Amino acid sequence: MSFIKKFIDQEKVNRRDLLLASAYGMGGVAAAGLLGPGMARAAIADPTVAWSYRNRTNPYWNEIVSGGEAFVESLGKSKEFLTHLINEGSSEKSLADVKALLSKTNGDLALAIDTNDAPNARPVVEACAEAGAYVSTLWNKTDDLHPWDFGDNYVSHMTWSDEGPAEQTARILLEAMGGKGGVVHLGGIASNNPAIERLNGLKNALVDYPDVELLDAQPADWDTQKANQVMSSFLTRYGDEITGVHCANDTIAYGVLEALRAEGIEGMPIVSYDGNPQAVELVAAGEILATVFTNPHWGGGITASLAYHAATGAFKPSEEPPEHREFYGPTIFITPEDAAEFKANYIENVPTYDWTDFWGPSNGQIQYG
Amino acid sequence: MDAATYVGTQRRKFLSRERVVKWAPLLVLIVLVLLFPLFEWLEDARAGDDHVYLLDSRFFSIRNAARIFISAAPALMVAIGVTFIIIMGSIDLSMEGTVSVCAVVFAFAFIAWGGTLLSWAWLALPVAVLVGAFMGFVNGLVHIKLKIPSFMASLAMGFVGTGLALLLTGGDRIRVEDPIFRSLLTERWFNFPVMCYVAFVFLLIAWFIQSRTTLGRNFYAVGGGEELAHASGLNVERVRLMGFTLAGAFFAVGALLAVGRIGIAETATGNNFMFVSITAVVVGGTALWGGIGGVWNTLVGVLIVNVINNGMVVIGLPGWVQDGTLGLLVIAAVVLSTDRKSVSFVK
Repeated sequence: MSFIKKFIDQEKVNRRDLLLASAYGMGGVAAAGLLGPGMARAAIADPTVAWSYRNRTNPYWNEIVSGGEAFVESLGKSKEFLTHLINEGSSEKSLADVKALLSKTNGDLALAIDTNDAPNARPVVEACAEAGAYVSTLWNKTDDLHPWDFGDNYVSHMTWSDEGPAEQTARILLEAMGGKGGVVHLGGIASNNPAIERLNGLKNALVDYPDVELLDAQPADWDTQKANQVMSSFLTRYGDEITGVHCANDTIAYGVLEALRAEGIEGMPIVSYDGNPQAVELVAAGEILATVFTNPHWGGGITASLAYHAATGAFKPSEEPPEHREFYGPTIFITPEDAAEFKANYIENVPTYDWTDFWGPSNGQIQYG
Repeated sequence: MDAATYVGTQRRKFLSRERVVKWAPLLVLIVLVLLFPLFEWLEDARAGDDHVYLLDSRFFSIRNAARIFISAAPALMVAIGVTFIIIMGSIDLSMEGTVSVCAVVFAFAFIAWGGTLLSWAWLALPVAVLVGAFMGFVNGLVHIKLKIPSFMASLAMGFVGTGLALLLTGGDRIRVEDPIFRSLLTERWFNFPVMCYVAFVFLLIAWFIQSRTTLGRNFYAVGGGEELAHASGLNVERVRLMGFTLAGAFFAVGALLAVGRIGIAETATGNNFMFVSITAVVVGGTALWGGIGGVWNTLVGVLIVNVINNGMVVIGLPGWVQDGTLGLLVIAAVVLSTDRKSVSFVK
């Protein structure tokens, strides 16, 4: 029966090894816990750079990500160095992808992310801070979540307030209408924050123009074809009463223009938002009166750059003032007068940005209403 | 059987299930067309304005009919394509991807070959249809040869299509500005743009295929009872493959009209076509398990969906009411067209 005895002995040793190993492991975890999150390392020499976003079908996100690619190219790497985490509009997938990448890179990660919705920002930021990674967010976060509460690991948050710029374009529109008549608004997806802000901008401007009536505001879901159908329905309902159109973004304006073209209506005052290349051309041609450029290319690049440079230790986020941690992105107005100049500067040659000028084009600290 | 019972059966026969199912969609369409002007009339009556019902209606006018037909034309083409598949008892969810790819390929080819219909660029039109047919063919092959349910195979192929369109455009939008091509929208005959007539011609072609060709009859045979059709010596796989190819070609025509309508081809060109076309087919009275319905049902269904979309805005109701109403209509349509006594379980 010696083989049984041998087996039992062997198992004893195995079991002791296992216990010892476990104890050692627990001690390690405890030691790491003592140091606390974010203290594990001061700098990461060569972090993985990742952008987590909805998808590339949308021209806006396409621009954002092209900025991220331009940034990694400025590091002397190829475009493929940028890791893409595509959430397809799912917050669960967004968080799961981030966690997977954190374990794969062992926390050596510089992450730029739009967390898809505001509540998802907290778990994402906490996961990154716990793993010692560096994260910069764009657009979505709740008002009670602040970068300075996470030491260096939550590097920055950038967003845009669209109410002011939308109000200014609305004023351009209302002036062009001669301060009277009827205006219709075609909005984005009704629950989207920018859609709400852009409609509010129009309403704010209307206060000063009592002779202009807001005939109707309907969601067109940021979609050209939907906008086309909504505009033709507006034409049925209001006909000649419509003397101006306020569009929540450029893709909506394209649909509106085609609906007007189908009816042979020319010279209708229209304003839009986003400053897509095609819209800039339409502004130059006088078919759109004004649009607002938010420079998504720069926004996408600088968000990745902030996370990267914080990760490598090039700057220490916790030593920066609040307006460098939470800030508004740039807004540039484009009207027929400056459309040609804008086109030459921003579209025909995409400017080479200095990706270490983190806050140059930004627009002040985020205010909470 | 005494006389009274006999008369009763006869009366029940007049309003038989088949008849109700056959004419209900058209009835719904007519009711909707008369209902929206009623709301307008009520609104003006409340404001104290003169308003003769229908005559003064903005909704019930030729100009608005043209607007509804413009928005319906591309969706009609896509819905006709999927009608053939649904008659067979399968489903095709690849339309969004296929429409995007066809639109983008068309736009690239059109611009590369001259950019106006008067040059060789007209070849881009048949090329786009061939691309659509090819995508449908591949879709059918995946479904038949790999024995994947059509629902899953086509959904996956749709994603492949969207990805392919994105790869081709890199996220950009391509403008097609040739005035001759755009005359699809801008040129009007008898108050209606050319694209409405083009859509009508393709509707007639689809009707011809459905009712006057062996292929069309075979669709019904497969949908009505696949085992039986197979036992009768019909090559069911071949019929399915041709059905998916044909659907792809119609998706491509839808893509061309969609590009003609807004002058832009992009990855998002295919957006929303899945919801609109499937809703239209079902609301039109084509049964999801196959064998019943046809392209005229689909025409009525597409018009119902577009009349609702247009009418809701015209009477000033918010967007979410539109979606909700369409959802309820789909349920009502399925309830109407389903003989629930004969369905023992639902999965």
